[in-house]
Amino acid sequence: MTSGIRSQFWHSDGRRLSGLSTLLLLLPFFAIIAFVFVYPIGQLLWISFTEPKPTLDNYARVVTNPVYARVLLRTLWTAVLVTGLCVILGFPVAYYMSRARAAVAAFVGVCVILPLWSSVLVRTAAWSFLLQRQGLVNSGLMATGITSEPLKLLYTQSAVVVAMAHVLLPFMILPIFGALRSIPDDYMRAAAVLGAPRFRTFLEVILPLSLPGIASGSLLVFLTALGFFITPALLGSPQELMIATLVSQQIREVLDWPFASALVGVLTLFVTLLALIFSKTLRFDRLMGAQ
Amino acid sequence: MPKHTWKWTVAGIALTAVLAGTAPAMAEDLEDQMVIATTGGLMGNSLQKYFYDPFTKAKDVEVVPVAIEVPDQWARSEAMMRTGNIEFDIVTSTGPDLVARTNMLEKIDCSKLPNVLKYGVSDACTEYGVARTTGGMLINYNTDVFKDKAPKNWADFWNVKDFPGPRGLPDTGDRDWWVPVAALLADGVAPDKLFPLDLDRAYKKLDEIRPYVGVWWKTGDQVQQIMRNKEVVMTMSYSGRALAVIKEGVHAGMSWDGAIRDTGYMSILKGAPDKNAALAYLDFFYANSDAHIPFMRDVNYATGSKTVIDLLPPEERNLYATSPENYAKLVKPDFAWIGAHREELRQRWTAWLNR
Repeated sequence: MTSGIRSQFWHSDGRRLSGLSTLLLLLPFFAIIAFVFVYPIGQLLWISFTEPKPTLDNYARVVTNPVYARVLLRTLWTAVLVTGLCVILGFPVAYYMSRARAAVAAFVGVCVILPLWSSVLVRTAAWSFLLQRQGLVNSGLMATGITSEPLKLLYTQSAVVVAMAHVLLPFMILPIFGALRSIPDDYMRAAAVLGAPRFRTFLEVILPLSLPGIASGSLLVFLTALGFFITPALLGSPQELMIATLVSQQIREVLDWPFASALVGVLTLFVTLLALIFSKTLRFDRLMGAQ
Repeated sequence: MPKHTWKWTVAGIALTAVLAGTAPAMAEDLEDQMVIATTGGLMGNSLQKYFYDPFTKAKDVEVVPVAIEVPDQWARSEAMMRTGNIEFDIVTSTGPDLVARTNMLEKIDCSKLPNVLKYGVSDACTEYGVARTTGGMLINYNTDVFKDKAPKNWADFWNVKDFPGPRGLPDTGDRDWWVPVAALLADGVAPDKLFPLDLDRAYKKLDEIRPYVGVWWKTGDQVQQIMRNKEVVMTMSYSGRALAVIKEGVHAGMSWDGAIRDTGYMSILKGAPDKNAALAYLDFFYANSDAHIPFMRDVNYATGSKTVIDLLPPEERNLYATSPENYAKLVKPDFAWIGAHREELRQRWTAWLNR
């Protein structure tokens, strides 16, 4: 390759890409996103402002009817609970993986990733078998004498939170693992040399340095949880409606597409705002691994 | 000899059916194919066997079945209307749809459907739909739990003292009037005084049962499942699903008292590309009357044929909503009122449930 051609694709330092190659590399991605995401969402949002006539009424309904505000708040709260549970369950696993021997870490890593290959539907259905009145959890509780009659576990908010945390856990573990792995061993050694006990090393060295991983994991889990549909629909109760289920009801049963679009609009607005706040306070560029 | 009479009746019906099928009632040109949207599984397969295939043979029109849940069918139809590309010819609708979704349906000229008028019950042909199958929203209960005393009506369903255990109620497209109707019946309102629904009274009564509802079921498969795995001791259920559960060997019974009549209609989607074939099929459904009994036995629902129910032995007859004994116990909903108050019914329901 002559240096003339090369200079079109790389800067003279040979590391950073030129504008042309940046464009060529990203174009297919943006084309797909524009076609399968921006265009349909845009059309949906367009409906929410223009039907039945150019109006903001659809949004007024979302805001003024207390039911919808409650559904929105419940959705946010559920996403918070799921994220919290994922941090609590995910951090120890990621920490263990980062400390374990390579072969063991790889094995645990496969165990974390493997469920991603089975459908969400299957994993959710498995929970409904565990949690039903005659299911494993209830018969275990009764056999050990902890309870005398079956508890209502299925079709509750708790079932939804637990199952969603299960489905989303890999998205928390992997970023935390990445952050923990990138902490040089020298730091721990330095802390030990300076006389810090292990717990203090963990608290003052490891934990702060793993925060970017926790933050990006939380962001991924939280935003995915906000729009989750299958798990709340199968394990939840209509008494605890979440926004994705509400949208589906409006689309399928009521055929009120303008109002459904307005709900989607509000959700999109929330997600965008939260992503912006996250990126401002947590410095997105650092989460993405840049120094 | 009663046995002979029976045979002759069947033969007679079969003969008239064949004659009617070949009569030039549908002289217009029929399209080569048409699309019917309805639920898949048992219903779809049985329709294929007893109606689609014979129709193709008789009229040389290929039937393309689309297996789809009814709410999804409406969402797809709405999308078709929006894009102007109509793909379905016949869709499945319920009573309230015939009032509330007339903007999506073609008007049906009943005078062009002689066989529906001849073999169907008096209200088999309506302006926007021809009755296909009729069932009832009844009480399906576990007979192991309630050995000595069975819950007979909605008052018993509400009576958690004498009939303890978790209940099932629907969370499907029509629950916003089914459940209030059951509540009013439980509160002692006479079946013929139900409409217009007193929603304040209904929801006050619903507050009583709310803590005892274990499952708000969403599909026919789910309501069978919660009886099978004993997630509930009794539930409101489609009569056909309840019957299927019993035929499976689950220890369960059906109580028809106060069951809400639930008829599935065949409607023609507005702008359907194969309208002539669709109309011919609606007529054929009743012309092909010797298929009705085996079809009913397969799908567990009665058709709107006025003659076939009498051909069944009495004990079997009472498994269906249209037997004289059961039909008398059915609540006949006022679809015009429901259609006109749909928005209010839905809002009230969602608000109550998400308090």
